[in-house]
Amino acid sequence: MANVDRREFLRLVGAGGVGAGAGFMLAESIKHPVEYLIPYPVPPEEFSPGIATWYNSVCGMCPAGCGISVRTREGRAKKIEGNPLHPVNQGRLCALGQAGLQVLYNPDRLTGPMIQNGERGDDAFVKATWEDGLSRTAERLAAARRDGIYVLSQGVRGHLANLFELFMGELGSDRLLHYDFAHPHPLYAANKRFFGEHQLPYYDIRNTRYLLSFGADYLTNWLSPVHHSLGFGHSRQGNDSSSNDGVRGRFVQIEPRMSISGAAADEWIPARPGTEGFLALGIAHHIVADGRYAGDDASLWRTALAGWSSGRVAGLTGVSEGTISRLAREFARAEPGLAIGGGAAGNHTNGVDTLVAVNALNYLVGNIGKAGGVVFNPDPVTGGSAIDRQANYRTMQNLIENARDGNIDVLIVNNTNPAFTLPRASGFREALAAIPTIVSLSSFMDETTLMADVLLPSHTYLEAWGDDMPQPGVGFPVGAISQPVVAPLYNSRSTGDIILGLVGKLGFNEAIPWTSMEDFLKDGWREIYERGSREPGDFDSFWRDVLVSGVWGENARRGGSVVIAPGVIEGMAVSAPRFSGESGEYPFILHAYLSTAMYDGRGANLPWMQELPDPMTSIVYGTWVEMNPATANEMGLADGDLVRVTSEKGSIEAPVVLFPAIMPDVVAMPIGQGHDALGRYARNRGANPIEILAPETESASGNLATSATRVALVATGRRAAPVKTGGESRQLGRGIVQSTGSRSAPAGHSAKLNSIPIIVESAVVESA
Amino acid sequence: MSILDRFVSGWREFRKDGYYEEFDYAWTMTIDLDRCTGCGACVTACQAENNIPIVGESAIDKGREMQWIRIERYWEGEYPNAKLNFIPMLCQQCDAAPCETVCPVTATYHNQDGLNAQVYNRCIGTRSCAVYCPYTVRYFNFTDHHWDAPLEQQLNPDVTVREKGVMEKCTFCVQRIRQAKDHAKDDGRRRVRDGEVQPACVQSCPSEAMIFGDRKDASSRVSKSMNDERAYRVLGELNTRPSVIYLKKVDADAD
Amino acid sequence: MQTEEQQLQFTDIHNDVVRSLVVTGRGYYITLGCAIFVLLTCFFFPWFYQLYYGIGAAGMNSPTVWGTYLASFIFWIGLSHSGTLLSCVLHITNSQWRKAMYRSAEAMTLFSLMVAAMMVMVHLGRPWFIHWSVPYPNQMELWPNFRSPLLFDVMAITTYLTGSSIFIYMGSIPDFAAVRDRTTGWRHHLYTLLSLGWRGTDTEWHRLGWAYTFLAVLIIPLAVSVHSIVSWDFAMSIVPGLHQTIFAPYFVVGAIYSGTAGIVTVMFVLRKYMNFEQYITKLHFDNLGKLLLVLSLLWSYINILELFTGWYSGTSTEYEQLKYKLFGYYAPLYWEMILFCGVAPLLLISNKFRTSFVPMLVLSIAINIGMYTERFLIIATTLSRQYLPESWRVYVPSLVELSIIVGSVAMFVTLFLLFVKIFPSVSIYEVKETMKIPKKKGMPEWQATH
Repeated sequence: MANVDRREFLRLVGAGGVGAGAGFMLAESIKHPVEYLIPYPVPPEEFSPGIATWYNSVCGMCPAGCGISVRTREGRAKKIEGNPLHPVNQGRLCALGQAGLQVLYNPDRLTGPMIQNGERGDDAFVKATWEDGLSRTAERLAAARRDGIYVLSQGVRGHLANLFELFMGELGSDRLLHYDFAHPHPLYAANKRFFGEHQLPYYDIRNTRYLLSFGADYLTNWLSPVHHSLGFGHSRQGNDSSSNDGVRGRFVQIEPRMSISGAAADEWIPARPGTEGFLALGIAHHIVADGRYAGDDASLWRTALAGWSSGRVAGLTGVSEGTISRLAREFARAEPGLAIGGGAAGNHTNGVDTLVAVNALNYLVGNIGKAGGVVFNPDPVTGGSAIDRQANYRTMQNLIENARDGNIDVLIVNNTNPAFTLPRASGFREALAAIPTIVSLSSFMDETTLMADVLLPSHTYLEAWGDDMPQPGVGFPVGAISQPVVAPLYNSRSTGDIILGLVGKLGFNEAIPWTSMEDFLKDGWREIYERGSREPGDFDSFWRDVLVSGVWGENARRGGSVVIAPGVIEGMAVSAPRFSGESGEYPFILHAYLSTAMYDGRGANLPWMQELPDPMTSIVYGTWVEMNPATANEMGLADGDLVRVTSEKGSIEAPVVLFPAIMPDVVAMPIGQGHDALGRYARNRGANPIEILAPETESASGNLATSATRVALVATGRRAAPVKTGGESRQLGRGIVQSTGSRSAPAGHSAKLNSIPIIVESAVVESA
Repeated sequence: MSILDRFVSGWREFRKDGYYEEFDYAWTMTIDLDRCTGCGACVTACQAENNIPIVGESAIDKGREMQWIRIERYWEGEYPNAKLNFIPMLCQQCDAAPCETVCPVTATYHNQDGLNAQVYNRCIGTRSCAVYCPYTVRYFNFTDHHWDAPLEQQLNPDVTVREKGVMEKCTFCVQRIRQAKDHAKDDGRRRVRDGEVQPACVQSCPSEAMIFGDRKDASSRVSKSMNDERAYRVLGELNTRPSVIYLKKVDADAD
Repeated sequence: MQTEEQQLQFTDIHNDVVRSLVVTGRGYYITLGCAIFVLLTCFFFPWFYQLYYGIGAAGMNSPTVWGTYLASFIFWIGLSHSGTLLSCVLHITNSQWRKAMYRSAEAMTLFSLMVAAMMVMVHLGRPWFIHWSVPYPNQMELWPNFRSPLLFDVMAITTYLTGSSIFIYMGSIPDFAAVRDRTTGWRHHLYTLLSLGWRGTDTEWHRLGWAYTFLAVLIIPLAVSVHSIVSWDFAMSIVPGLHQTIFAPYFVVGAIYSGTAGIVTVMFVLRKYMNFEQYITKLHFDNLGKLLLVLSLLWSYINILELFTGWYSGTSTEYEQLKYKLFGYYAPLYWEMILFCGVAPLLLISNKFRTSFVPMLVLSIAINIGMYTERFLIIATTLSRQYLPESWRVYVPSLVELSIIVGSVAMFVTLFLLFVKIFPSVSIYEVKETMKIPKKKGMPEWQATH
């Protein structure tokens, strides 16, 4: 080695040092910035660091009203579970319910009152104080005509519904509307017509042996999906020999496009859209004609159903005669069988007729009031008037006309988004322009809120006091209190407190003396407490018990015999469905359906829901058009081709997805994407099929017939393959999902082909 | 004992039949395919519980989704007799796990509860475990992940947030199992009671398709369920001895 | 003038080799500069970006978590078998024609191994912990997992690297001594150090010969086991298409095949640009060509065998693998590989082809491209089509990966360029053994023969 002199040496060391220094700097710049953990100098009372605190509340993600238990750590909500004590969901929870945390912690929440500083519809809001916002609103309300005050809210129940009524009463306006896109108007109307019932009954899927579902996607979002899933699971494999004779429930789904309820069913029967009612009558005809109905009014029924022979029905529906008579036979023999309807079947122009026919089936097999059948609900303990406030499409059309005619002075919107969930043809967005004052209480900047002048954002359900009585009920009165699980994140207020704030500003304090929603709620529950004629002084521990358990109930069932409304049997008929558009020009019927993740569009700003693969197609983050593969082949369309879907009222673009279980002349699109507001995860993604729906309505209920739009598909020549998590969705004989014959059948060859015995050591189990 | 004796006795211990099966617990899950509706509640519950990152559309487009439990769908037949079957697929916690043998740094190993444990801070990211897994249930962090504030307030403090370069997978919510064992110890009980601990997916499943428990406890629900005549293991012919047992879907019209 | 040439050749060798070390033309500097430039921009820059961003910078996804990095790794390990083959196998079989080439071939081995090790670093998700795969006593009280084929890899490759380094160094000692005696300045100091005081005594030659042969014999099974072990990274999995017993022979044959093709490429370059035309002749190319032909036929046989067993098994998983390889997304690559590695080498049957330099160069490059494709396909097609069809994905390498492949070649070229200026790239003493002893001027022919 050559001698290294001192100068060399220092040079080398220096170079090394510089190198090390540079390396260190590089490493530091790549590392994350330093963060510090400092304990509270004065810790709050409510929590111990490291120990979770659980709060019971009510889920606010859909109208089912499941009870939830929220795990919080250090004042932050970490996980939502189902409340095991709540009879609706019994400890279980759906994906959308889990995503409530992302509603609470959403980056695009409105953080405080805002006032529009530009033109209506601009995103030029400036921050304001509550004082300012409330005063402004109160001013406009005071100055408005009585009939010119409209309140358009999402469906609210319980005491908040009462508060709204009181408020409207003081305002002197009757224009309180609850608008939910997915509200089952036809079901209510059919129930009213057939039974004279105001409330929806409880459909006891759990104990049924045969479920005949006409379009009702009961596992996704028909009425109460978690409860129905529980029922489904139990009916399938929860029965041991001690209950229900160990018989496995059979599920039949009648719909033009297979939903997950259709996938779970033992039989999926595609019937022509809008003919489900005919099919129901055809089955009813068979039940009566085969002598399986022995009621007093049998001859009435026979006359009424005479024209619905299976030959005629087969021709109308496309379902074979053999199937119709078989369904009738199986359904009647099931004891009990249960027929339900809704979804696509209810949303036709003959939807109410269809659901009345479905009710007829239940009546004919005698399951009314019985386990496994249709059980009537008592009225909810409070907030029951809310049902009458549900606005159907006809009501909304009235609102739009009134707006156009200048009859509306003030519109208050509470967490509902008709700008997204009404078809463009309704003219809702344009009508808003004619309303001088729009105030929005929504927590998010959705399409409707974007059109407001004053924003008074409400708390999310996890931060607010409220309560809920689930609709439909579970056969007996149930109520649950929704309590804040975390301190409010932002400068929002609960909807009730906002109303009470306006009450204060408008001077309605005499009639509405409460200053906070919590007080109002407590007073309301005092009344419920006193129903049970308990000691008046013990309310506080009652209140505590209800909050700790998360649910309250009464053992009060509806008694009485089944009476159907007069004239129903004679008037039993299903009119032919109407569609917008001629079949020549618009060859396909559009089946727009709700998904668990998106629901009516509210899931689009929740990243978990955007990332949840669609159960049937595994697609994420987009909208698509499902087509029958044979039809697509004929049209020369491949999976991923972008097509333009055109109705008489508009057009949207979406990629084609080949879907094996859809009728050849039906195309299906999921609802929920296609937002132009509602935050970064929702904006400018996909397309909204509601936009292009034609404003066909069902005459009896005024319901929007969402399944009555015909469309044409035109290839655009571009490709936009949807993003899927799934690869090849055929098993190729690999035995991944294995099935076996029915449980009661004797095992032919061993069902344990792939079993490798695991040594099960029996340990002594200590009894605690 | 001399070194040689120690070695020999240790060797004999190790080579004893059933050594690998002498666990404290043997956590097992059964999934009833006749009850599974494919709704995806388990997927979201798992994401909430285990700080699963939101990878975004472009990552999923590249095939880099992050779902410790996923729903697989398999079509059968053609219209109008098409059928769709769902099967939730998660880490099967195999007793003879192919992934455990191949990790060069033992970042994945079989723990005393019969679980296949993944040690994030030991993983050097060779990704061979993901290659060896026949169920494709191991997921790699291709990038660091980011939660738009304040979504990170929801993160579970009991679960590590993984950095890039590290492999992750379902752990049967081992943080819950740990907690349950701690509670049992605090209560003076030796064992965790059946039903006391449920992974997030099992707890959330609306149709009660999943049952979880200790198969060493003969009276547990899962022990009964796994000996059902419909029980089978997916890819059972590969002899990985999974701890997830599926119950066959019933095709009522098959006979 | 044969006798004249022969008379001068012993000194010629010395002079030529020393000249190759000492005399550096502009062309060399330009090439080296370019190679270093490409190395920095195409290897290190993208790699640092990947360290910053995560493996996501590559195109891998779930389940194709392995990609071109591992394919490159195996490719370079494969290339490293060239030195072993030429140096050790042919030494033991006493072939004379290897003598001019084996030094460079051994260098190829060494540098391929180094590049392969770098590829492992690039491949890892957290390469700063790569030292955990080495068994050293530590406070964590953790040893690496000795059951893992990847750890066998670490052991095997380290051993191979060590063995090859010792082998090439030891074999070069007499040459260092020869060069030492003919250079001055810093080179003289360097070679004095490297030649370890070699004096060229009989004892020293005897010991060298013995040690050299010993190592040669040792390195052959080592090389075979190294690539078998590398193949077991794949074969010990249960992934369909990877879990095959043919993998060990397949990889070893493939390695020797691509290594030999690599030698042809390097020999062409050396011959042309280092003025070694007299040492690396048509004879060498002819023999290399024959070797390539044999290996190509073996390789084709193994591929046909794979196809056959895939079809014969009748299982959905294996059959799907087969179909996918032949007709799936990567089918063009598959057929390119068959063309370059299976069909094109049949040209080597022709004598004329084997002894033409440029066609041999083109073919050798084509074979290596085909062999790289083969490594890539082994990973991409099998991981894309595993047991659960819902997990099937396609993998497309990203720009970062492609750039790193180019960069790895640049790394090899850089190392090799540095090598030719420090090591005598043709073995002086061994080449002398292939030539006749020179005559004095005017000596009759019969007296000159030995």
